Amino acid sequence: MPRFFLHQPRMPWFQRIAVIVGLFFVALGQMGTARAEELPSFVHNGTLTICTNPTLPPMTFVKGQDVTHPEGFDIDVAHFLATRWHAQLSVITMDFTGLFPSLGAQRCSLVMSGIIQTPSREKSFDAVPYQDTALVVAGRANTPALTSMDELSGKDVAVESGTSYVTRLGIINNALVAAGKAPMVIQQYPTEEQVVQQVLIGRVFAFVSQDVEIFFRMRQLQGKLHILLTPDIPDYRHFAIYLRQNKQDQALLQTAITALETDGTLATLRNKWSITDQSTKNSVNTSSATSIFDWNAFFSALTSTAFLHGALITLAVALLSHIIAITLSVPIAIALNNPKRSVLKIALEGYVALFRAAPTLLQLLFIWNAVPQFFPIFREQWFTPFLATVLALSINESAYQVEINRSALSAVDPGQELGASALGLSRRDIYWRVIFPQAFRIALPPTINEFINLLKTTSLASVISLQELLAVTQIQVARTFAFTEYYAAALVYYLVMVFFFLFLQKRVERRFTWSDRKKVVSNAA
Amino acid sequence: MQHESTATSMISVRGMSKLFGDFVALDRLNFDVKKGEKIVILGPSGSGKSTLIRTLNRIEPHDSGTLTINGKLITDKTDPIQLRCMVGMVFQNYNLFPHLSVLENCILAPMRVRGMTRIEATDLARRYLNQVGIPDQADKYPIQLSGGQQQRVAIARALCMQPEVMLFDEPTAALDPEAIVGVVSIIDELAEQGITTVCVTHEMAFSRRIADHIIFMDQGKILEITPPETFFTSPQTGRAQNFLNQMLRY
Ligand SMILES: Nc1ncnc2c1ncn2[C@@H]1O[C@H](COP(=O)(O)OP(=O)(O)OP(=O)(O)O)[C@@H](O)[C@H]1O
Ligand SMILES: [Mg+2]
Repeated sequence: MPRFFLHQPRMPWFQRIAVIVGLFFVALGQMGTARAEELPSFVHNGTLTICTNPTLPPMTFVKGQDVTHPEGFDIDVAHFLATRWHAQLSVITMDFTGLFPSLGAQRCSLVMSGIIQTPSREKSFDAVPYQDTALVVAGRANTPALTSMDELSGKDVAVESGTSYVTRLGIINNALVAAGKAPMVIQQYPTEEQVVQQVLIGRVFAFVSQDVEIFFRMRQLQGKLHILLTPDIPDYRHFAIYLRQNKQDQALLQTAITALETDGTLATLRNKWSITDQSTKNSVNTSSATSIFDWNAFFSALTSTAFLHGALITLAVALLSHIIAITLSVPIAIALNNPKRSVLKIALEGYVALFRAAPTLLQLLFIWNAVPQFFPIFREQWFTPFLATVLALSINESAYQVEINRSALSAVDPGQELGASALGLSRRDIYWRVIFPQAFRIALPPTINEFINLLKTTSLASVISLQELLAVTQIQVARTFAFTEYYAAALVYYLVMVFFFLFLQKRVERRFTWSDRKKVVSNAA
Repeated sequence: MQHESTATSMISVRGMSKLFGDFVALDRLNFDVKKGEKIVILGPSGSGKSTLIRTLNRIEPHDSGTLTINGKLITDKTDPIQLRCMVGMVFQNYNLFPHLSVLENCILAPMRVRGMTRIEATDLARRYLNQVGIPDQADKYPIQLSGGQQQRVAIARALCMQPEVMLFDEPTAALDPEAIVGVVSIIDELAEQGITTVCVTHEMAFSRRIADHIIFMDQGKILEITPPETFFTSPQTGRAQNFLNQMLRY
């Protein structure tokens, strides 16, 4: 699970000593004040929990293989805040679109994810700015620079979905249309590296992001990108930390940030993460975007613990959910196959209809973001993304499995029950010894089919921050930009899992020699 | 619970009715079957023969009147499992368990219901499989057997519960003429061994040979209970006469 104590990022020994010494004095200084100083109400049980989407380097991103350990400027700031409040830091990673719902559902104390301070967000949440920035438009290296936003008229522009850029570009589009010009064509992508990739592969003309990220990308991609335009839009001048509305908490956070600014901590961190460094020379990451297919990147992804871990989570979620779903669905199927009408039957029919009709993604989001507003117990620490996913997928899958089991049970000749009860077998034995084994044979192929679907459906759970295989892939891609290689590695994992279960199905089916000859032993009255 | 039954009666039916909704499937039936007696039930299609035979082991519970089996009054409170240990049944379509081998079909109920060990049940099953003439098919699955062989397995399976009464519901109706001879001769043999038998069939020669009494039904009512000689030569009702004319035409 993506909860951890933040560990100190790697840095040269002299810097490390400087930071430790600095920390010592900061801590000393705080001894007196912090005791007297009130703790913000969002620090619970000595834990400061932040939500972040680690795909925006250098603010928040995954540097190494371990996707549960994001790093970056924001994470370091969070670490200093936690220290100041004598709290442990816990970091939850998730899709960008999940950040604010999670804050609202009290899953985290703060959202720290390189997010711009905007008036519209401040209607729902309080914000404390901590870093100056500017909105920039970037394009491929050979694209000529622009002089005004108007020149983007009619061009394709990519942005990360859920960000305020979408609204801002909409406003510019309105102005363009009002001036009789063609609007920009805005394409939205769920992660920042996909946004950049659209420019690299030439699908879009430009993308919109913050200067700090683009500096980082320019270094990472070794000059494949450059800044086309830095329009001065007042709304985009600050990154802010967001919290649930509470004036006192906001003031306490503001005090803390001011203190970090005054004692030079933020300056040190800006330097450490090259927040304002525009040079493209000292590239930290070697980009693999140069060759068509980098086999080394592919094999290192394939053999990385991050991918293995993601695949195991995918497998565990699918297996657990399906086992629970089958367990739920058998009694429901038996109840529904009873010809008598009853209130229970109507209720069960409603259950099946509801969960077959509702999109799985919606069910996941509902359980993760909406349910905690009614039942606070679901926002506690034990209710992890893993549990939430298993809960949502079990319920969802049980509705489908009910249909499979129903038709399997009714495909078993009614003469079987008759024959078994004439022999004096108990209800229990009739079901377990006679009907279930036959229904199992009928239900097996569609059930394995369902399982394979479920295995792939788990990838939806990245929206509620489950670190399954596809989420891991995307985070790793944000780090390396090796799209093809990492997608291929993920594909290999999915294929291996699916083929294993198909193989298993064949093996199990081979044990049903009794059904070899397709001869119908029909038995009615 | 011991009342209203004559000491020698294995089955005693008094004013027994069965309804399906408003439809009267069995209408106030009265008859007795003595221990060791063979009864054949005849009647046109839909007359209620299958329904009657199923009430005798309570696969279809009756709605009114009384049913006494081996001196026990059969009611809602009767343990159906105990009753079915006493009354075995063979169906037109065999209803063998396709996922179990012939031997497993035969030993399932003795083990689960009678509590026999696998060895005891297997011994018993082999004895009855031998009796019905298919000792060498024990390890096959039902789907690998002919219809006649399957019906023999079904008979052996019912006998493995060592019932006092055997019910047969058109045991030969799904078989071809050659297989009929085999199955009929097995039932003949059982009847000779003295097991109480109630059989629904359309095999006239067979009925005549084994039946102590013929019960003739129509529209849920018993119209005649007579020895076969009387029934086949001089039926008392017009409907029985009609029925016989139709049967003999084939
Ligand atoms: N479960 C049931 N629900 C409603 N009606 C039924 C049911 N079982 C039988 N019946 C009706 O009861 C009547 C007697 O049926 P039954 O099967 O006993 O006839 P049968 O004499 O065995 O006929 P056949 O010679 O065709 O087997 C029929 O009209 C049938 O439609
Ligand atoms: Mg019938």
